[in-house]
Amino acid sequence: MDLFRRFALGEIDAFETLVRQFQGEVYAWIVRIVRDPGIAEDLTVETLWRIYRARHQFRPDGNFGAWARRIATNMALDYLRRKRPEQSLLTEPAGAPQPDQLLQRETREKIQQAFRRLPAKLQAAATLALVEEQPYDEIADALGTSVGAVKLRVFRAVRILRKQLNRLGVRP
Amino acid sequence: MTEHEMVEHGMTDGMTDEARQIREALRQSFPPVNTELRRDLWPAVLSKLDARPARVPWYDWALIGLSASVFLFFPQLILVFAYHL
Repeated sequence: MDLFRRFALGEIDAFETLVRQFQGEVYAWIVRIVRDPGIAEDLTVETLWRIYRARHQFRPDGNFGAWARRIATNMALDYLRRKRPEQSLLTEPAGAPQPDQLLQRETREKIQQAFRRLPAKLQAAATLALVEEQPYDEIADALGTSVGAVKLRVFRAVRILRKQLNRLGVRP
Repeated sequence: MTEHEMVEHGMTDGMTDEARQIREALRQSFPPVNTELRRDLWPAVLSKLDARPARVPWYDWALIGLSASVFLFFPQLILVFAYHL
């Protein structure tokens, strides 16, 4: 019996093999969206746990990686919805900042704040497409939607960001 | 926003000038993340599986209770039930 069929039947050894095979891929996808390694590790564990719980829904002839990525995306989206938009993701350089560095930091913070105020689905689509340059078809599959819908989400995210940054006096 | 509006704004290849500017701003604002997993997560997954054993939902217990009550008061239904199994 193949690995996926054994997993679907609830064999823990088969699940362990799949975890070791796919945990890196799941983590990489989540960290691209949430951009925090610690949070991404926690969400990966939660995702793998949910994958085991949802094993009955998996078709053994299906694509396990794509299915896992879809569950991972939902976990990451839930996290983005819960997270406060003010939370900064900047890693500051050591030492006292120069005046132009302060200005750059302020601009970066404003851009981050504006981005974090976007709806979670727009944030995820824009991060994956614009920052991480992931293929649109993979993003669409992970978000459970079409390539056209992903492009529209990116387009809407750009539009909203532009308006918010204009209001904040930031010219990207 | 519709597909038609998107095309009107010049987004035929999925990227307008506006999108390119925003993309650059986002890339400068968000530091690159390391996508390599630093440790094996299987032990954490396993302890999570052990910590949360699968529980029978309350409605399953309610269904079992209801079925038992029906069979207690109408034992002839056991034969009907067995026939449909």
